[in-house]
Amino acid sequence: MSVGFKAVQWNRDKIVYDVILVAGVALYIGVFAVIGWRWHPPKNLPDVIDIWIRAFGTAAFLMLTVILSIGPLARLDRRFLKLLYNRRHFGVLTFLVALTHVWLMLAWFDAQGLLHTLPADFTTWGDYGKFIGFPFKALGLAALLILFLMAATSHDFWLGFLKPPVWKALHMALYAAYALVVMHVALGIMQYERTPLIPLMLIGSFAAVSALHLIAAWRERARDQASTPISDGWLAVGPPDAIPDKGACIVTAPGGERIAVFRDGREIGALTNLCAHQNGPLGEGRIIDGCVTCPWHGYQYRLSDGCAPAPFTEKLATYRVRLNNGVVEIDPRPLPPGTPASITVAHVGA
Amino acid sequence: MTRKHRLVHRLAWPALALLIGLGITMALVLRPPPEPPKTAETHR
Repeated sequence: MSVGFKAVQWNRDKIVYDVILVAGVALYIGVFAVIGWRWHPPKNLPDVIDIWIRAFGTAAFLMLTVILSIGPLARLDRRFLKLLYNRRHFGVLTFLVALTHVWLMLAWFDAQGLLHTLPADFTTWGDYGKFIGFPFKALGLAALLILFLMAATSHDFWLGFLKPPVWKALHMALYAAYALVVMHVALGIMQYERTPLIPLMLIGSFAAVSALHLIAAWRERARDQASTPISDGWLAVGPPDAIPDKGACIVTAPGGERIAVFRDGREIGALTNLCAHQNGPLGEGRIIDGCVTCPWHGYQYRLSDGCAPAPFTEKLATYRVRLNNGVVEIDPRPLPPGTPASITVAHVGA
Repeated sequence: MTRKHRLVHRLAWPALALLIGLGITMALVLRPPPEPPKTAETHR
C-alpha cells in the first residue's frame, strides 16, 4: 500500500528478492563469459567484447522468458506467487541487461572503427521487404524501446496515475517485446551460427512461455464460464461452512467481474475480486491480521466495508450479502466502494 | 485481472504462438548454408 511518493518502498522481502536476482544474473553472465573464453579464446578486443555481447544478450532473453512465465505459473500454482511479488524489479533489471547488450554492440563496432556503418543497417530500406536479411537489429531496438517504456512506467506513481486497467493493458506490450526479441535472435545470430544451442534455446523458451499462457488462459476461461446458481437475481454461494475460514469462494456474475466472498469466523462479506493496486485476484488471498490480503503484493482491506486500514486510502466495491434458507447469497450489483455490507451469521457448520 | 484482460490473453497468445512459431520455422528452414568462419564476423 502506498501513502505519498517514495522512489522505492523497500522491505526485507524485496531486498532478499533483489539480492537473489542480481546474484543470479551476475552468476549467469560470469559463468557464460568463462565458458565462452575457454571455448573460443579471444584473439583481440572485438572477440572479448563479443563474448560479453552474447552473455548479456542471452541473459536478457532468458530473463524475459522467466518474467513472462511468472504470471501463468502463479495462476496455475500458488507456490510461484513469491516470484510475482517483486516482478517489476525483475523487469527493470532485464531492461538494464538488454541496454548493456546494446552498449556492448556499439563498443564492438567502435573497436573496429565501423561505428559509422551502423546507421546503414537501419536505413537500407529494401532489406525491410526481405525475410532472411531483414534488419534484425531494428527488431531488437524496438523491443528495447518497449522494455524502456515498461521500466519507466513500472513505479506505483504511474500505476496510480494511469489506473490499473490502463497500466495493465500498457504492460501487455511486453508480449510484443518478447515476440520481437525472438525474431531478433531467429533472424540475427541464428542465421550465421550453426550451433544447435541457439534454436534449442529459442524454441524451448518460446514453447514453454506459450504453453504456460495457453494452459492458464484455458483454465481461466473455464472459471469465467462456470455458472453460479441464481435465485431472485442473487448468486448462491452455498452454506457458510462452504466458505473456508479466513479464505474465500470466488463467484462469477453472468457476463460480469468475479466476486470474492470471504468468511472470517462468523462474519461473511463480499468484495470485488480486483485488488485496487494491480487488479490482483483478491479471492485467492487470505484474511491476515483481520484484513483481506491480496496474494500479489499484500494490499489489505477490511472485510466489513472494503476500505484499506488507516492511513491507507484505497477502497473496493462491496456486495450485499444475505443468508437465505441456510445459503449465503450475493447481490451481483456492486455497491459504491467502501460501503459496509458484511453480515454476521449465528453459527457456522453443524 | 479484469474479464477484458483475460479475454485479450485468450485471443493474443494463440495468435502469437502461431505467428512466432511460423517465424522461427521459416527462419530455420530458409537460413543460408554455413559460411567459412572468417567471413562470419562481417555479418554482425
